[in-house]
Amino acid sequence: MGITRRELLKAGVGAVALAAVPRPVLAYFGRGPEPVPPIRDPRIKELAFRAVEAARSAGASYVDVRLTHDRARSFSLASLTNIGDTEELTVGVRALVDGYWGFAGGSVWSPEEMVRLGREAVRHARIHALGPARAVELAPRPVVTDAHWQTPVEIDPFEVSPFEIVDYLKGLEYFVARDPQFSLGHNLTRFELREEAFACSDGSYLTQRLYSTEGLATLSYTPEPGQQIRWSVEGLDRASVGWELYKGQPLRDRIERLMEEMREHWKLPVKPVDVGRYAVVFDARSVAGLIDATLGSATELDRALGYEANADGTSYLNDPLAMLGSFEVAHPALTLTGNRSEPGGAATVRWDAEGVEPDEFTIVRDGVLTDFQTTRESAGWLAEYYRGRGQPVRSHGCAVAESGNHAPLQRRPNLVVSPGKESLDFDDLVEGIEEGLAIKGLQIEMDFQGLNGLGLGERVYEVKRGKPVARIIGAGLLFRAPELWKGLTALGGPGSTRRYGLETRKGQPTQVGYHSVTAPAAAFEQVTVIDVLRKA
Amino acid sequence: MRTERESRRARPGAAAEGMADRRVLSREECESILERAHGFARGGGETRVVVTSWWQGELRWGRNRVSLSSDRRDIVLGIERKVVDGRPSGTLNVTTNQLDDGFIEAAVRAAERKSLLGIDPGWGLGDYPPLPEYPPYVGAPVWSDATFNLTTEARGEVVRAMIAAVEAEGLLSAGYLEVRGASAMSKGTEAPELRQGELAFWDLPYSVWTHAQLSITVRDSTGGGSGWAALASYDWNRIDPEALTERAIQKCVASRNPVALEPGRYTVILEPQAVADLIQPLVDSLASREDAERPSASPWYLGPDEHLGLHRSKLGMKVVDSRISISHDPSDPSLGIVAAPMETPGTVTWIDRGVLTNLGFGLSTDVKWLEGWHTLRGPLAYRMSGGDTTIEEMIASTRRGLLVTRFSNIRKLDDVSLLCTGLTRDGLWLIENGQITKAVKNFRFTESPLFVLNNVEQLGEPVPVFRPVLHPFLGGPMPAMVPALKVRDFSFTSLVDAV
Repeated sequence: MGITRRELLKAGVGAVALAAVPRPVLAYFGRGPEPVPPIRDPRIKELAFRAVEAARSAGASYVDVRLTHDRARSFSLASLTNIGDTEELTVGVRALVDGYWGFAGGSVWSPEEMVRLGREAVRHARIHALGPARAVELAPRPVVTDAHWQTPVEIDPFEVSPFEIVDYLKGLEYFVARDPQFSLGHNLTRFELREEAFACSDGSYLTQRLYSTEGLATLSYTPEPGQQIRWSVEGLDRASVGWELYKGQPLRDRIERLMEEMREHWKLPVKPVDVGRYAVVFDARSVAGLIDATLGSATELDRALGYEANADGTSYLNDPLAMLGSFEVAHPALTLTGNRSEPGGAATVRWDAEGVEPDEFTIVRDGVLTDFQTTRESAGWLAEYYRGRGQPVRSHGCAVAESGNHAPLQRRPNLVVSPGKESLDFDDLVEGIEEGLAIKGLQIEMDFQGLNGLGLGERVYEVKRGKPVARIIGAGLLFRAPELWKGLTALGGPGSTRRYGLETRKGQPTQVGYHSVTAPAAAFEQVTVIDVLRKA
Repeated sequence: MRTERESRRARPGAAAEGMADRRVLSREECESILERAHGFARGGGETRVVVTSWWQGELRWGRNRVSLSSDRRDIVLGIERKVVDGRPSGTLNVTTNQLDDGFIEAAVRAAERKSLLGIDPGWGLGDYPPLPEYPPYVGAPVWSDATFNLTTEARGEVVRAMIAAVEAEGLLSAGYLEVRGASAMSKGTEAPELRQGELAFWDLPYSVWTHAQLSITVRDSTGGGSGWAALASYDWNRIDPEALTERAIQKCVASRNPVALEPGRYTVILEPQAVADLIQPLVDSLASREDAERPSASPWYLGPDEHLGLHRSKLGMKVVDSRISISHDPSDPSLGIVAAPMETPGTVTWIDRGVLTNLGFGLSTDVKWLEGWHTLRGPLAYRMSGGDTTIEEMIASTRRGLLVTRFSNIRKLDDVSLLCTGLTRDGLWLIENGQITKAVKNFRFTESPLFVLNNVEQLGEPVPVFRPVLHPFLGGPMPAMVPALKVRDFSFTSLVDAV
């Protein structure tokens, strides 16, 4: 049970004091340690440019510096109550010398440390510049001076009393437990606040205050002893929002609807999978997962050129200059765009980790590959293509650093699959199937070239004459990305689109990143269905 | 202590300076931080403090050119306070990376305030006899000067030579070299009823370790062939960059122009890396005895015993080929890990000549059962027994089969049978009548490590494999010694034309 107010007063601490947990982190600006000021404080700018200067003096042709002050608060309820608070300072300097990058990062904000990092980053770059020649051309971007941006949030989660949050989350558990067959397996939420400063040798200086929130609530349904299904409540995916992620939506309605869906699911007769090729309707979540795992990954330009070959792998779009503008990657109905500006998008920022203001760009237009995800360095690799189309050679703003203590890496922006023109939703698409399958919440395993995939899921329904008539056990899908997207027969309309927050890991050392994918429901023909548990 | 604190305040930036020069906190520094943190506690109750520091030198390359060289470091301080009647503030409730007095004091206050919100997670303890005093865990070395002192220049030279060798063959390489040093220490006053002597069984005395990893992928520019080789160890001297490069180049060249084969059941010769990749789900499943002794999705759950009113596990039963053992000997110089005093001091064998002999306990069960007064985990590091058949001998004895370099993208499909699916990667070859004849396109497999370890024909000598994943809490090395295996009836279920 939660602590009562009476017990609290007995302990002699006021509720107000509890809400404002004092910040422990300190920085050095020259005299002694001081509590870290808000990110717009001019002394932080001084520190940042001290690192830039040190690197410049040591011989770098380009330097950028990121300082971050990160706070995170996580709540984990259900079986135990665990509340974690972290607060960190990080700083990192990236320097370019003769086409080679060096990076140095740490956790101390002091003038001495800025100088050390600046020199260390250059030292790293110089050591490799002794080797074979390498060229880096950074696509231009405007110099931004003294600009600031903050994620617009309705309710700052760090100003909400932790009591209120625990009470609210516990309330969800009691709400679910009204039905003895249901319980809340996971009940987690995490709030992150990053204050970051970016400084560059071209004089750019900008600051951002970025909020990111994510929740997980998993319903466990035990229709009979020994049988259990567990599905997560939708709508709590990572997003650049505050406490309104929970409070701003009718979460209890969602939970009740999900409980109803679970009951309906269980009532359907069970059938084993019958291998073959089927027309399939996917829900928005499945389509989002499919687009992310195939085109979302294959159009990362660094991946396409082999820079991730030693880690996650490569891309089937492996000849960008030859393929751009002509290669048909999908049915003409498919248009895929990227942005880092949609309100609440998990990858939404005003400026990326290189100070670029990301633009909205079209990756696939009417089924044809038209662009790749880029950073300042990689945009230059497509210069020939951009100039041929009269487009500026510019980064699309996909540089992301997990913290100041990580070097910027190219990551996915928010991806958007344009919906179809007719107002069809998932149920409408299912009604259009004479004989086939309807699948919700598909899980995807791709190969290391983003080419062949295996789809799995619990929610696979046999559809006959437009109605789900059975649930299928053990079904898996085998697909190959180009054939899958060319087999698209219908896209849901704008009313069927949903947004999901996805977490990805990339790089060596690994960095965690988040982005949103917005997609409609969709129907495909001739999808290969196998018995996934069957051995050869 | 007050004098020390005052003197630190009098020298602004002193603590920062100290940290800036040192890559990893020393024992004295850790002790001082822990003492200071404990010293700030107000209001009674119990306190637990953990401090860890790490440093990494990284070198990444792609398309035969270094893409980034970095030096990164950080410190993590975790504080847990329990001030009100059995209400701890949660595990490592306040975490941060700053070490000055003012900040540590503020973090301790924050933990105290949070303690009022927390709910006792309950250790499931009850009345227990006092525990013996635990001496620090003594295991094989995990610190190597060669790793810690591999300078930026030296790393650059190593990678330049590797790239030059690949370029000389007209091929493209991508790779990653990382050296890491870390230290950690914890001190607490929590759960006093379980303490006897200086260290509680879950405390960590000052520990310091290193870790190195090197991996290289070689591809031909038309994308038709791909080779890979890698190794990780606490000791850089055990990693041979030249040998790894040669192996990756050879595999790339030999894997060009692969042909498509029909999926089906094949005799396979799994290189040690492939074996390690495939059996990881099985190794993970050895961690929970609790799961095996109740109706659950554990592969080791046997069933209910109505007479005894218990659920029985497969402990004591033969579960895999009798030539297979999975064990960890703390003094084995290849298997050093970072561990708390509560780790079993002697050899632990989870599978002994095919028989399941041990399963790991969870923490509350540790305290409940206290077998031998030490904890028993699933394998963090392990040695899998082997034989003495070389891979060449395995190939020569195979009428028709496939040679596998490694597996990738493995996903468990069924918890009870451990049925998994995944892909072959970076080299797959057809063997016919004792010879490698063709490179083959990659397959997706649907197979269970449990079945594979029951279909073993021949075993090789255990060798170190690439296991860069570090211990989830401490980030220490988790080495493994694994043999090559020749296995019959391995199930490949579909063709995958990815390279």
